[in-house]
Amino acid sequence: MADVDNTNIEIPDFVDPGGYGEVSGQMAVPGTVGKSEAEEYNTLDEPVRKTFMRDLNAVGTKFFHVLYPKEKKTLLKEWDLWGPLILCTFIAMMVQGSQDVPKVIPEDPEILKHDGGPEFAQVFVIVWLGAAVVTLNTKLLGGTISFFQSVCVLGYCLLPPCFSLVFCRLILLAEPNRFLFAIRFIATCIGFVWATFAAMVFLGDSQPSSRKALAVYPIFFFYFVISWLIISHTNV
Amino acid sequence: MASNVPLLDNDDTLGFGEEDEPRGKLKHPFVTLFHLLFRVASLVVYELCGWFSNSFISSFIIIVILLSMDFWTVKNISGRIMVGLRWWNYIDEEGQSHWVFEAKKGRVSAMEVRIFWLSLFVFPLIWSVLLLVAVFTWNFKWAMVVLIAVTLSGSNLYGYIRCKLGKSESITSSFKSMATGLVQKQMFSNMTSMFTRAPPTTGPSTTI
Repeated sequence: MADVDNTNIEIPDFVDPGGYGEVSGQMAVPGTVGKSEAEEYNTLDEPVRKTFMRDLNAVGTKFFHVLYPKEKKTLLKEWDLWGPLILCTFIAMMVQGSQDVPKVIPEDPEILKHDGGPEFAQVFVIVWLGAAVVTLNTKLLGGTISFFQSVCVLGYCLLPPCFSLVFCRLILLAEPNRFLFAIRFIATCIGFVWATFAAMVFLGDSQPSSRKALAVYPIFFFYFVISWLIISHTNV
Repeated sequence: MASNVPLLDNDDTLGFGEEDEPRGKLKHPFVTLFHLLFRVASLVVYELCGWFSNSFISSFIIIVILLSMDFWTVKNISGRIMVGLRWWNYIDEEGQSHWVFEAKKGRVSAMEVRIFWLSLFVFPLIWSVLLLVAVFTWNFKWAMVVLIAVTLSGSNLYGYIRCKLGKSESITSSFKSMATGLVQKQMFSNMTSMFTRAPPTTGPSTTI
């Protein structure tokens, strides 16, 4: 007869239901990629200030990574469109024309409508439509990047042209002459090359290598147009 | 069979000591205020900017700033606090993009839920109408502003609808499953009523 009291039964702590394979994983919450699971669940109840500071820091780090394009993960994995919006608005404001179009309004014929000329709206249309078209081109060529990631990278890489725009604006305060024009030209070129290089660093991996040139060309063209707008802005 | 997503509004359990709270009270008045504030402000500024300033650019900037603040507030703050819903996107190790839609079960104030969804639906509707008006009156400058407004408010609406409908199913498949669920229910009730209808009596019942 079996001795029931002395049998040693081993009950495993975890019974594998079988058939599911590896089910553990980590769900990434924005801003907490790489952090422990305990911290992730708190984002649902976190105070407003913390959310705000987290997003602000995310935008700031991305600006930094555009200037020194060594680490790619931040811009690609945790994309956001705040940077592109800020940069686009800034460029549009700086590049606006100064023409005040007199508009005849029946009540008061003297009113001038300040609409900054077409340059303001142009910048918005070019940046957002251009980014969309470049992204579409990348995806159609077989790129493995998502739409928003690509728009994010292209938008953030507008930072170098922004710097050259500020520099050019400062130069324009002085009397225009050939030498100063050459300085502006060089500054714009530097911004353009820097932007294209940074964009290529971030987007390069997602392209199949045989088609890299085809993918670079629209990016090149995009920043070329923006730089053209910057260099051709001469009124202060 | 259609998967039934538990709706947040059905959670009627009261916390201890909360039985006396009057219905219609706002649990988070400040959050509700900010939820509505930026949306209303951007609409008001759009309509009235002609009175205050001749400059299209400064009006544009102010409206875009208000719209962005509204987008951020609704997406990150008022959604999770007022109705316990949240949506975002993350890129995994392989570079695949995933959209995540979450719904939290818990007590939510009925009044806040009503305010939230009402304003979420109404404002994109208003902005769409204004877009049509702007396009048809050849005001393309302003149409651009309204387009930005429609995009931002519309994307919040879309995100929260997907949260409500359940785990990352697409909206069309959710509607399909809801529709087939309704049709099946209707057919089933028809059939059961056919079978449970009392058989017609053939003659006067005789009692002995």
